[in-house]
Amino acid sequence: MFNSKKTRRNFLQQTGAFALAAAYGGSFANVANAARTDELNIYCWEGYNSDDVLDPFRRETGATVRAEGLTSDPDAVNRLRAGETKVWDLINLNNPWAREMMWPEGLISELPRDRFEPMFEKMMPAFHPPYEWAMDKTGEHLLGMTQRFGPFNFVVNTNKISRATAEDEGFNIFLDPALKGKYGILTYDNWNIYHMCVTAGVDPFKKHSKAEITAFTAACKQVFSGAKILTDDLVAMNLALINGEIDAYFTGGTYTSSPARYDGANQVRGITPKSGPMNGKGGIVWIELTSVVNNPNPSTLSEDFLAYVQRPDVSKKVAFAEGTYNPVTQMGSGEVMAQFDKDELDAIQWDTLEEEMANSTDYDINPDYAEMYDIYSAAKRERES
Amino acid sequence: MQPGVRAAIPAAAFLLIGFAGPLLMVLGYSFMPPRTFSLAQAPTFANFISIVTDSYYLSFVWSVFLSLIAVALLLVISYPVAYGMAKMFGPWANVVTMIIVVPLLVSENIRLFGWVLVLLKNGIADGSMQLLFGVQLPSLLYTVPAIVLGLVYVYLPFMLFPLVIGLSMVPDTLKEAASDLGASRLQIFREIEVPLAMPGIMIGCMLTFILSLGSLAESKILGGQTVIMIADDIESAFTFAQNWPKGAMLSVILIVFSGSLVFFLFRRIDLDRIIGRR
Repeated sequence: MFNSKKTRRNFLQQTGAFALAAAYGGSFANVANAARTDELNIYCWEGYNSDDVLDPFRRETGATVRAEGLTSDPDAVNRLRAGETKVWDLINLNNPWAREMMWPEGLISELPRDRFEPMFEKMMPAFHPPYEWAMDKTGEHLLGMTQRFGPFNFVVNTNKISRATAEDEGFNIFLDPALKGKYGILTYDNWNIYHMCVTAGVDPFKKHSKAEITAFTAACKQVFSGAKILTDDLVAMNLALINGEIDAYFTGGTYTSSPARYDGANQVRGITPKSGPMNGKGGIVWIELTSVVNNPNPSTLSEDFLAYVQRPDVSKKVAFAEGTYNPVTQMGSGEVMAQFDKDELDAIQWDTLEEEMANSTDYDINPDYAEMYDIYSAAKRERES
Repeated sequence: MQPGVRAAIPAAAFLLIGFAGPLLMVLGYSFMPPRTFSLAQAPTFANFISIVTDSYYLSFVWSVFLSLIAVALLLVISYPVAYGMAKMFGPWANVVTMIIVVPLLVSENIRLFGWVLVLLKNGIADGSMQLLFGVQLPSLLYTVPAIVLGLVYVYLPFMLFPLVIGLSMVPDTLKEAASDLGASRLQIFREIEVPLAMPGIMIGCMLTFILSLGSLAESKILGGQTVIMIADDIESAFTFAQNWPKGAMLSVILIVFSGSLVFFLFRRIDLDRIIGRR
């Protein structure tokens, strides 16, 4: 290509032509892709991006399926807001975002109820249709499919703190001087704020009075000042728990303890407090909802993928994809349950799941999140200074 | 229009869109009302005021303090190595270069996780001490020194190589002449070597200082967020806090701070000299 006769002028001409071709080629490519029958882009919490889950679907459809893991719900919503609805076909987030934000903001589209509601019938009883978080506020539009879920509160090393003590004491153990300097905070900031509320004896999911905000502020300061480690890395946190660096960590549950448990460290256990300020309940449970992104150029495969992950073998793969292990709502069906062995059920604390769910309230939006975030982040900054 | 100017248009346009554009957007967002996502609003100083009145100064102070310590340590550690590479190692200098460059091919996070395994309680350092000497080490991980260790480890090449270039610009003949005229070793070091190598020293210090100032992984992975660095605050503002304007204002303050520093230093050193054009 680069022959000796090349002059600067014809080089520039060729470069210009190449640039034009690239530009037009790009737009032609977009036109050619308008149907998007052979491509699916998934933005999800880790697990759905595992090749174990995606490869069979790729083989069946011959489509190019790309999936990117996300690390925070709000961050993902921000990316859709910033224009990435053009990029993604499916988005997998925790329960409140679809109903409270993405649907009202036009970031997601609805699912056909006739096709998908029968799939809810096969789920665990708590998820039977119409399932509140999967519907919009009018109850008319189906916004997504549930699959993984789990109680999410705190985690202890049961060799140091018994399950019974932890469940009875709840988040108060983090205010106990005996635990000062012996616990970590898993810095999933939005979850921390909910748990700081519960620690302060305040229901996080309602509008708060001045006195409640004051109580929250005090809890933030105390919990941060007593923490030994702050990290957003669940593996580092489990490691610190197992090797004795800490006895418990603030914010965590089946999602974070299951990898350690599946590795044989059964002393690592997610705890759901028996009682607390949320209508008497002390625990919070998250439920993931996978929704179809309102892509101007939608893929025809989005709904097929949602149906595909409901299959018993795929449900199991989603529950036990690499990274973290979680119960799935499809475990309501015997066919799905048959896929799990004893160690796997033990890793996800199946023995106490029903009891923990009964002691939990569903994850939701906190109306005072913005104000509480500023208080929370100030407490975090000021803790050592 | 001159042909040179015309030919520069594509590159200039590319820079404008790819480099200046995003910076201008950050600047624009920093003056938007808190927790909003649009640039088409009346500008406000609310973000600046809330940053100044809140405790963000702590993050700035920690970031600057840890960066200064890291730079000082890097200078002390790198200077002898750079001297060896520039003046003494001969062909072995290439081997040393390879040893220092190869780890750069591995992601920073992975290298830092390597240190986690070393510093962890009952980890490689603690476990070895227990096995060999029966001594239990105090907790090494999740401390301020662990963050400094991470900064020094990760940014070593960025101090070392400018120093090597700086020191190789010092002609040996000058030092010999000074010695012949009766200068002591300390005098030669202070009055010949350091002033002539100063451009390299300055660039090394500046690079590592600014990189440390914007660092995040070291304080998160090795420090267990014992202290919150300013980059951490910026990340939180853009993600969990959903407050782009505040994150943008924090970034602008950091950019203005480091930009002024670069501007000030570049007025004092002669870049042409270090590249060897004169």
